Amino acid sequence: MLSAVKWVPDSHGFDEAFDRTGTPRSHYRPLVTTLETFTQEDIDRRERLQRLALVDQGITFTVYGQKDGIERIFPFDFVPRILTAREWERLEAGLVQRVTALNLFIADVYQGQKCLKDGVIPPELVLSRKEYKRELLNVLPPRHVYTHVVGTDIIRNDKGDFLVLEDNCRCPSGVSYVLENRNLLNRVFPEFFGFYPVRSIKDYPQMLLETLLHAAPRGTDSPVAVVLSPGIYNSAFFEHSFLAREMGATLVEGRDLVVEDNHVFMRTTAGRQRVDVIYRRVDEDFLDPLVFRRDSLLGVPGLLNAYRQGNVAIANAPGAGVADDKSVYAFMPALIEYYLDQAPLLGQVSTYVGFRKDDFAYMREHAADLVVKTTGDSGGYNMLMGPFAARKEVDAYVAQMRKNPGNYIAQPLVELSSHPTYTGGRFEPRRIDLRPFILYGDKVRVLPGGLTRVALRAGSYVVNSSQGGGSKDTWVLAPRRSG
Amino acid sequence: MLSRVADAIYWMGRYLERAENITRLLLVTEDFSTETQGLEESVAQTAWKDVLAILPTAQLTRPVSAFAALSQPYLTSFFLDVQNGFSVHYSLRKARENARAVREALTIEAFMSINEAFHAVEGYARKGLTDPPGLRDALGSTHKSIFSVIGAIDATFTRDEGWHFLKLGESVERIYRAALILRARLPALLASEPRTDLPLYYSQWRSLLRSLSSLENYRKAHGARLEPELVVTFLFFDAQSPRSLRAGTATIKECLERIAGGRDLTPAARLIGKLYADLCYADAKAVRRDESPAFLDGVVDALTRAHEALTAQYFVT
Repeated sequence: MLSAVKWVPDSHGFDEAFDRTGTPRSHYRPLVTTLETFTQEDIDRRERLQRLALVDQGITFTVYGQKDGIERIFPFDFVPRILTAREWERLEAGLVQRVTALNLFIADVYQGQKCLKDGVIPPELVLSRKEYKRELLNVLPPRHVYTHVVGTDIIRNDKGDFLVLEDNCRCPSGVSYVLENRNLLNRVFPEFFGFYPVRSIKDYPQMLLETLLHAAPRGTDSPVAVVLSPGIYNSAFFEHSFLAREMGATLVEGRDLVVEDNHVFMRTTAGRQRVDVIYRRVDEDFLDPLVFRRDSLLGVPGLLNAYRQGNVAIANAPGAGVADDKSVYAFMPALIEYYLDQAPLLGQVSTYVGFRKDDFAYMREHAADLVVKTTGDSGGYNMLMGPFAARKEVDAYVAQMRKNPGNYIAQPLVELSSHPTYTGGRFEPRRIDLRPFILYGDKVRVLPGGLTRVALRAGSYVVNSSQGGGSKDTWVLAPRRSG
Repeated sequence: MLSRVADAIYWMGRYLERAENITRLLLVTEDFSTETQGLEESVAQTAWKDVLAILPTAQLTRPVSAFAALSQPYLTSFFLDVQNGFSVHYSLRKARENARAVREALTIEAFMSINEAFHAVEGYARKGLTDPPGLRDALGSTHKSIFSVIGAIDATFTRDEGWHFLKLGESVERIYRAALILRARLPALLASEPRTDLPLYYSQWRSLLRSLSSLENYRKAHGARLEPELVVTFLFFDAQSPRSLRAGTATIKECLERIAGGRDLTPAARLIGKLYADLCYADAKAVRRDESPAFLDGVVDALTRAHEALTAQYFVT
């Protein structure tokens, strides 16, 4: 068929939509065919509609360190990313396994430290992490859950295998865009949905609320859960407010809470009201100025004591960050086998840990061929993309590394999969990743979907919203009914 | 509800109402000044000077040229200048900031309409409109978009505590601003005698009624005949017209009572209750004669103190 729509398949890595010969993969065929019935004007008009909707609804994030236009739209690409039922089944099982192990690991670190004694992971490595909180040793959170909400970043190598890139066990963000992207695509390209059994993601807020209430300290009749946000200037404020509204929970800032007699209350127009569960979207270092950072104005003095006494649940639990440290990541396959006696279902990227002398020597010498990251940062900040960096940059970075080798890890550059993305009137391949969201309540559940982030610049590997990334709607198809 | 949220919703109500009030005042004053500047330029000048008394602004935008219309610097400054704390642009920005901070406490429709109204005005400011017809047209659209915000709020909000704080902010701002408009314009109008230029004289009274959205309501009550005595009585003491001092104060009183929910009389409710009693039982004739400035000072003072009292009670806990 002669069509105005032009497709450019990827020539490097795994193309999600087209095979090596440039033929659409079977689950992408209806989408490709539908798009080819559109004229260029149609597509451009729909794209304008979509941009307008984003501005009118104020779906924005905030970029740090820029003077003007601090509020930005998170660019949305309308070509949906499609995962088949079989692909999802594999991914889901792997994620449930991984999050179960992560939680067991954290519980072990703060209670017993068996894995350290058994030599599964070097004790000095774990105990030297800034995310390891000695103050919380032997404090058991309600129902022993540390990681109520996890966002694990997944990539696909050139064979199409799913690999875990990193775990986010503290306060992973992005789920509001997952939900809004679906709404947006429903409105702008309703035609797409006619041919696909796309699994619904709309009950995420309900799932989240159930997860939070499940964590409430025992003995509370109708527990009250709140969302704790650093406030309007935080980059993810839209999401905090979105989730509070969708759950019907109160959105609070540190200054709205007060601790009395080791119980947490919020300040209301009718006096003080008891709080049982805090879904905190504040970094744990800022939770309580009496325990962690003294200069923090965001925190609630006394909160950690109330938590230690078991009078309030905090999700995710303070101290959980020890598990998403990038050097701990290197030991995850071993930890999964150790706690669950199972082989890991998901692969991950081979990692050099600066903490080990031999690894560091290799990292120093081959920095120009590696992707080097600091263990504690996220969001693509403070990393070195060796293969794309100038010699001078590499040298400067290595000089930094020498000051604190334990603070760095390195990985070979992994080719990301790519996906057709509408740019400048054509459909071109752009690299993508995937962040599924996993909830740990009475059991571990995975939202059927996730945030597909896309590097909008041609050739780029960086998908972070703070650095020119956008996002896509992510479809998980329901299994075909047999018979 | 959270004190911080109540505070933000109250101010959102105030800033929305303020944006509407300024928009209306600019449209009405622009009409009046266009109509009179050829006949009696000093009267047109005075009308704009009064705006400065009602909206105390430090600095006006400079006129684009020596031949610019009389209204041009006023329109630009009070409509689009975001540095001006009493411009429509500034007020809508503050309304949106407050809305954004408590977005989860609003309905989606309410937030979206505020967001759209703000972005439209921001767009006019970016374009740098300067010619009065263009400014007028944009002001007219803005007026409509503010009303659609109010409509969206009215049609979607549940009538809970948040609603009462919003209406409280709206009515406090409305009556405060109405009292300032009356205080700026009434003494001179009452002092001037209808001499030769009757049409101009009545045009000023009409303009006063319009700046309080009350011309049509007045006509419904008293017909097209403009009697200064009737106008003053109407603007102060009418029980139904939403911008009369009495009706507006009744709304404030009701909001405060609903928020207190039958508990003890609060300091703010006490102040507003006294003011309302004055507005119900004052001697209308005396107020019309020469006591209106003192009476209006009393209204402004009571509202200021009520605002402080309710802030201390509900927002700083």
